[in-house]
This record gives sequence, structure tokens and C-alpha cells, in this order.
Amino acid sequence: MIRYIARRLLYVVFVFFIVSILMFGIYKMVPGDPARMMLDTSIANTDPEQYNKLYQEARERLGLDKPIVVQYVSWIGNMLRGDFGYSSQYRMPVIDMVKTPMKNTILLNLASLVLVFGITIPLGIVTAVKQYSVFDTVVQVGTVVGYSLPAFIISLVCIFFFAVKFPIFPISGVNTAGFTGTGWAKVLDTAKHMALPLLVMTLSSLGGITRYVRAAMIDVLRMEYIRTARAKGLREKVVIYSHAFRNALIPVVTIVTGWFVGVFGGSVVIESIFMWNGIGNVLFTALKQQDFAVVLAMQMFYVVLTLAGNLIMDLGYCLVDPRVKLE
Amino acid sequence: MSLLELVDLHTYFRTKRGVVKAVNGVSYRVEAGKTLGVVGESGSGKSVSAMSILRLLDGNGYIHSGKILFEGRDLTKIPMNEMYAIRGNEISVIFQEPMTSLNPVFTIQRQLQEVYRTHQRVSKKAAEEKAVQSLQDVRIPNPETVLRQYPHQLSGGMRQRIMIAMALACEPRVLIADEPTTALDVTIQAQILNLMRDLQTQRGTAILFITHDLGVIREMADSVAVMYCGEVVEMAPVAKIFGDRVISHPYTEGLLESIPRLDTEPGVRLEAIPGSVPHPLNLPKGCKFAPRCKFATPFCREQEPALEEVAPAHSIRCLYPDTEKRRKEIET
Repeated sequence: MIRYIARRLLYVVFVFFIVSILMFGIYKMVPGDPARMMLDTSIANTDPEQYNKLYQEARERLGLDKPIVVQYVSWIGNMLRGDFGYSSQYRMPVIDMVKTPMKNTILLNLASLVLVFGITIPLGIVTAVKQYSVFDTVVQVGTVVGYSLPAFIISLVCIFFFAVKFPIFPISGVNTAGFTGTGWAKVLDTAKHMALPLLVMTLSSLGGITRYVRAAMIDVLRMEYIRTARAKGLREKVVIYSHAFRNALIPVVTIVTGWFVGVFGGSVVIESIFMWNGIGNVLFTALKQQDFAVVLAMQMFYVVLTLAGNLIMDLGYCLVDPRVKLE
Repeated sequence: MSLLELVDLHTYFRTKRGVVKAVNGVSYRVEAGKTLGVVGESGSGKSVSAMSILRLLDGNGYIHSGKILFEGRDLTKIPMNEMYAIRGNEISVIFQEPMTSLNPVFTIQRQLQEVYRTHQRVSKKAAEEKAVQSLQDVRIPNPETVLRQYPHQLSGGMRQRIMIAMALACEPRVLIADEPTTALDVTIQAQILNLMRDLQTQRGTAILFITHDLGVIREMADSVAVMYCGEVVEMAPVAKIFGDRVISHPYTEGLLESIPRLDTEPGVRLEAIPGSVPHPLNLPKGCKFAPRCKFATPFCREQEPALEEVAPAHSIRCLYPDTEKRRKEIET
């Protein structure tokens, strides 16, 4: 087991370096010049010489005058030391720039994760147990509708009901503009602002995962060992929540770990609609503004997360299914 | 009074194309300490009749009418709470597929102890000792190791032994064995049958043995019920079924003739019953076996025969139960 994990970690390191070279190469090939993006272009017309001087300085400062291999080595070296570069767009270190949006995104996603699984797992189980009942049919129709509607439509509907018809929740921002409160006051203010994006995010994920849990559970309930469990004299509750659910958990583990990685990735659509200062939006504008330091650092972060997520998924399988051997 | 008695049981299944009458008026008795063998082809209703006893039917199955008397109590009428107390405790089941009948994510220990924990008040330590003891009873070597293993680590024969250990854990009065050896190879089959017989003699458990294998019936059963299309067509002590066969049902006769025997001359073809079991939603008029019966007369296709006692403890559902007579009839 420990040997297996060690080997997997070695593999993670290997993949990390390969991907880092690929990423770095790709961003170097993208047309555009980060040094020029940092400069005030108005000088170029009034004082071309001064502009040229500033441009050379900027290139040196960003290390763009050196050969590409040297650039890569110094970039990856900095990354490993925890220096993720300098955002040309915001003129501050990437790590400081990304901190707040990352926090906002994680907050929103974690809350949504808890809600989604808190709702879908029991709902999936109940609909599977009462397959073809009226309740099941209603939920099934609901999930298809929810699954088919894009997030921005759900957003508009939610805004209409909870901000226009019944103005309960604010529709934009993370906190009220100019808000200075701390402690519980701040938590409450953030929670109020989070309500709508959270609602939309949860609603748009409910359908798919409910169906997934239901299907996994129905498969398991058909198994012979379920009949054995009943024949032993176990109560229906024990049969379903202990014998059946433990087995239905096996496929569910896959999507839960998939979501774990997703927690750190923002949703551009939802964050834009609700002006939620999250990482999805930041990454999107950074790409548009050719702020490569930000994009590269974030991409590498996601690479590490995905690799870690896969490892955790495999370990999770091992935990819920004794037939899985890690070799 | 018999220990367990089915009286005119009707078990139906709701399907999209109509109600399937899987068990259509079946009566049989299981006596204490004895074995009743129920034989029939797939779809004859033999398993369904047994699963009805403990209400272990699939979601669309239900008992339409009839009685299931266990020690005088009608099991079709008792509330679910009392049924839980009977399952695995007074009546238990062994299923056909040992490979899939154990839960893959729990250890043998957990699955075995669950039975005591559910039905008896035992301490953790006592439950552990009992688990070891019950594995020894079904002749499993190194029970301590096996207890900590998962089903996928064991062979089919071992798993079936564990199923038996689980079924007998609370010393039930009745054991329903639903084709317990069908999925096993012949050597393991013989071991399991021996084991069941020994445990039966030791404990006096009554066995309801369901199979399509007449050879197994001959070894295990005291009396036999032959089922066809959801009905009992012949019921007799085992010696009569395999005996002189002066009177018998043509279906039973056909089944017996389709078994290879040691004294069959090489090159002689085995008799087979022509055709296949009719679809339960499209049953023939008159005797349900008539379309496949070589002795069938126009009369058979019109009138449905009743199960009648033709000799003491021997009932047959046929208009021409006398073997000699019906042979002559088709000759003329």
C-alpha cells in the first residue's frame, strides 16, 4: 500500500514535469508580448526612444531576453520555490492576486458540493427504492428538466424570482459595496450574496447526480445478495442503507472525487452573471489580457490537483471495495 | 398438522403485458425432519412458490390467494414485523448462486454474525465463538482465517458452505434450498448434499429442496412434488416416483426418460420431451401439458384435469394416470 502510493507519487512528479514543459512551450508560442502589455503605449508615439528603453527594461525584468530553456528553468525553479510569477495585468505577484478569488470560488463550490451530495444521495436512494412510484416519476421528470437547462437560464429564472419578484437576495458581488463589518455580520452578508449563485450552481448539478445515484442504487438492489440480506431477516432499512448503499457507493466515489478537483475551478458563466469575484473569471480575463504568469501558474495548479484527485480516487475505491487491489 | 403447508397458493406477477400466474393453485406439505423435493423446468413456478413463503418475491410479485401455514400460523396474513422474525430464524433460505449471493463488500464474519445479532441477544464474544463453530459445522478448514476474508477470496463451494452456515445459524425449523447445487461442479455438489443431509439428521431440520435435477431429488428427498406451469402435476413419496411407475404423470415419465442411465445401451438416444414450456400469458386450454404429451387425446385439450389421489399419498393431475392403459390407448 505504502509502496503503491510512493510509486504513484513518483508518477505524479514525472507527469507534472512533462506537462509543465508542454504548457510553457504552448504559452511561448502564443502570439503577443507580455512586456509590451505592461507598458503605457501612449509614450510610444511621443517618445519612441524612451519607449524602447522601457520595453527593453521590461523584457529584462521578465527574463524574456534569455534563451527559452533558461526561461523555463528559472520559471519552474521559481514555481517550486513557491514564487508563481508576477501578473502583468494587475502588477502584483500572482499568488496575492489569486488569493481572494480562489477563496471565493472554494467557498461557493464547497457549499454547493455539500448541498448537492446532501440532496442527491438521499434522493437517489429513495427514488431507486420506490422505482416507478409517483414520487420517482416526478423526480425523474424534474431531473431531466434540470439537466437540460443551461446554468444561465436557471440564473435568469432565479434572479427573476428571488431578486425581482421577491427581492430577498442581492444579485451581485461577494459583499455589499463598502461593507466594513467583521465577524458574524460579515459571514451573514457573504451568505446573503452567495445565496443566488449557490442556488443556481446546486440546481444545475442536481439532475445529473440524482440520476447517477439512482441508477447505481437500482443496479445494486437487483443483486442476489440483497435477497440474501432480506432472507436473513434484516429490516428493510438495514438492507438498503447498509447492504445496498455500501455497494452503490463504489461508482459514486468516482464522481465525488471528480468534484473535489472541481471545487478549485470556477464557473465563468455563474461568476460573470453574479459578479462573483472567483477564479473562473480571473482566469478568463487573464487569458484575454495575455497575463501568462497567472494562466500558467493556475494551469499547473490544476494539473497537480487532477493528479492528486486521481490518486485519491483510486485510494477511495480501495477503501469502499475490498475487491480492488492496489498493485 | 404439518410443519409447513401451502394451501391452494396463487402467486401472480404484474407485467406490462398482463398478469402472469406463476403459481396457480399449489398445495404441498413439508413435514418436520423430512425433505420435500420440488422438481420442474425453469418457469414451472417451483422457486416462486418457495419464495412466496418468506415474501421474497420481486417487486411486481404478490400472493393473490391461498394460505401458507407454518406451525398453524398463516404466513400470508402476518404483519411484516413478524415476518422479519421468521426469516433467517425459523425458516431460512439457501440460494442458487453462491458467487453472487454474498455481499462483496463485507467480510464473512460480518455477514455471518449479522444473523445472530438480528435474531438472538448475544455478546460480541459469544457471536464470534458461534461464528467459528458454525463454520466448523459446515466443515470449513481454518474458520478463523475465513471469517476475516471477503467473498471474492473464496471458491464457489466454500461460499455455498458459508451460505448454509448462515442459513442454519439460528437452527431454523425449515430450510428452503433453492437449487443449492446447480451452480457447483459435481464433486462439490456431492459434498454439499452430504453436508446438508448430515446437518438435517443432527438437527431435524425440514428441507424444502427445489431443483430440476431428478438425480439430486432421488438422493435427498423423502417425497416429491413435480411442478409444471405453476401447478403440481404429481405428488408422491420418492420411492413411488422412481419405483415401478404403474401409475404416473406423463410429464414425470418424460423427465425420468430424459436422464442418462448407467445401463443405457451405447448409441441409444435419450428420450426428450418435445417442445418447450408454454408462455405463462398464453397457456393452452385443457391440460397444460397436452401440447407436449405423446399420450394426449382430444379430450385432454378440452378438459383440465384435477389433482387427484390415485393411490395412498400419491396424487396425479392427469386423465390417464395408468401407464399401461394410456400406452395401449395410443396404439389403438
